[in-house]
Amino acid sequence: MANECRESVRPTIALAMGDPAGVSPELLARLLAEKDVTASARIVIFGDRRILDGGAEVAGVSLDIDTVAEEAQVPAEQVPAGQVPAEPARPVLVDLKNLDPKDVTPSTATLAGGRFATENFRRALLCAAAGKAHAVMFTPFNKKAMRFAYPAYDDEIRFISDTLKDDSPAREFNVLDQLWNARVTSHIPLSEVANAITADAILRNLSLADSCMRAAGFARPRIAVAGLNPHAGDGGNFGREEIDVIEPAVNEAIRRGYAAEGPFPADTVFLRAKRGDFNAVLTMYHDQGQIAMKLMGFDRGVTLVGGYSFPICTPAHGTAYDIAGKGIANVGATRQAMLLAIRMASRARA
Amino acid sequence: MGAYGSRGADQAALAVTAGEPAGIGPDITIAAWRRRRELALPPFYVVADAAFLERRAGELGTAVPLAVVEPEDAAGVFATALPVVDLAMPVTSAPGRPDASSAPAAIAAIRRAVADVMAGRATAIVTNPIAKNVLYRSGFPEPGHTEFLARLVHESSGRECRPVMMLWSPELAVVPVTIHLPLADVPKCLDEALIVETARIVAADLMQRFGIARPRLAIAGLNPHAGEDGALGREDGAIVAPAVARLNAEGIAAKGPLPADTMFHAAARASYDAALCMYHDQALIPIKTLAFDHAVNVTLGLPFVRTSPDHGTAFDIAGTGRADISSLVAALALARRLAVREPVAA
Repeated sequence: MANECRESVRPTIALAMGDPAGVSPELLARLLAEKDVTASARIVIFGDRRILDGGAEVAGVSLDIDTVAEEAQVPAEQVPAGQVPAEPARPVLVDLKNLDPKDVTPSTATLAGGRFATENFRRALLCAAAGKAHAVMFTPFNKKAMRFAYPAYDDEIRFISDTLKDDSPAREFNVLDQLWNARVTSHIPLSEVANAITADAILRNLSLADSCMRAAGFARPRIAVAGLNPHAGDGGNFGREEIDVIEPAVNEAIRRGYAAEGPFPADTVFLRAKRGDFNAVLTMYHDQGQIAMKLMGFDRGVTLVGGYSFPICTPAHGTAYDIAGKGIANVGATRQAMLLAIRMASRARA
Repeated sequence: MGAYGSRGADQAALAVTAGEPAGIGPDITIAAWRRRRELALPPFYVVADAAFLERRAGELGTAVPLAVVEPEDAAGVFATALPVVDLAMPVTSAPGRPDASSAPAAIAAIRRAVADVMAGRATAIVTNPIAKNVLYRSGFPEPGHTEFLARLVHESSGRECRPVMMLWSPELAVVPVTIHLPLADVPKCLDEALIVETARIVAADLMQRFGIARPRLAIAGLNPHAGEDGALGREDGAIVAPAVARLNAEGIAAKGPLPADTMFHAAARASYDAALCMYHDQALIPIKTLAFDHAVNVTLGLPFVRTSPDHGTAFDIAGTGRADISSLVAALALARRLAVREPVAA
């Protein structure tokens, strides 16, 4: 695949097939049947044709894609720089032939499933790192299966950093329609949260959120900063971190030119953001943001990994083993993940 | 309901305290009464200074007929006048400006309402918001409303009770196991006994007051992903899981520790009647997100039913008529239903 794709109007998205035992195959098949999505990007899929065919059968859709055996055979974008392509690009599957359907145990986390998903993800990441795609997307992984295949798999960021040999301070963001959630701490015990909340950590994460949101099209993202304690500390009655750490950090952020406000009580800040007062909420710990975001739109939420040289998007939900293979999985979040990847990829090249 | 409040539940009224007089409590109580027919409100009386209430109605630009009554007669006049059980304690506070008369009036109203409900003269009590700082300045010895109620119960009956706060809405009921603590102190204060004792009270009241034959409790984990087998914190394995096991051994249907971020969506909520949360915002974030304006604060573990609107005194809009009555209306309706033991879907 040539590098010329950088010159065209249409972005290229490298798409990794996720865990084969859950809803990933059927969601991918459904996504590829959404013509408005496939028309707005070149989609290069890494995975196994047989698994994707199984997904299409479950979803009841027919696949309108090309299949090649090697990444080098993916046709280059033939559109002159700056012009809109006349023809929609057909999605191309790079068929790695890396999982026989008979080796899939439905609704179960297995080593075979983990090997399949990690290989697909690695290939998609390296494709983008080589400049041949502008964003990466993947359908849901199962963390247990990923760990069977790659024992050091703490989370996606660890795997990406290892694969790309890039220790950039990357972060997960949750995106629901036009509302973003960034967090200062993530996968750490609750007892360690208060000590991890420093002005420096708040400013770093606020700055990263700001730059990722600008990359997604916000001219000047308005970011609400949540408090740590009940009622944002209630003037120091229920904790002093707001007074000692968070408020000074917000003031410093404002001084540096960010559209930041806060700290706000965490139980109502998302309602205000949803109402349109803010574009994003910076939360202090994992569940402070996850509870509200998942409640407000479980079927449309997107997880974005930002901080690398290209964006990485996935639906916020998991592999849904309980409904896998039934053909009832909702493609909404997968679709939103792809649309965000396309939006950010397009702007990155603009 | 035991010995309390069962007499003449159909005829007796709810006792509503006016709360902090400078706050919106009087406003929303007057506004709710005016819409009593449209909203099919249960009969209630206000415990307040009648002259003050009349003045506030005037400030709100609404002439409201008041009837100073004894609690027993409140239900009978409710259709035509707002029944007031007069405190005979002049209140001088203006909207938004608590003064020296505020705290004594707020406290006296609570005392009277508790005395009434303990004697069976009221079916349940609904308390309007008080201003903790105003009460503290006047020497009020309790951290809040709830603890004060427990003390009054003890004073009048010798009975020890451990009140438990539940936030209830038709969509979701949550109980924070720890409440107004700095987040850093939550892991230190959480132990198996606290979770088990809280859950017992919740289960008992869901049975006795909400009429749920076999209440199902969902117990949230403390850490992200409920600790992920210890990788993200050990409290879920060391404290929450043993508490859940003990509850089940006692015959209380409890499941957990559940990851807090996936336990509140509609399909998950259908599998339990109340969720026990380990800290304030773990409970408040989901209920505010699902039921911002109509969640009700219910106190469990008392010998009577007590509800209150889930908001504060809102000094900034007191006396303007702009206060939203939804939560008070929901609190009145729930108090009535619990007091007369109508089945309520939690």
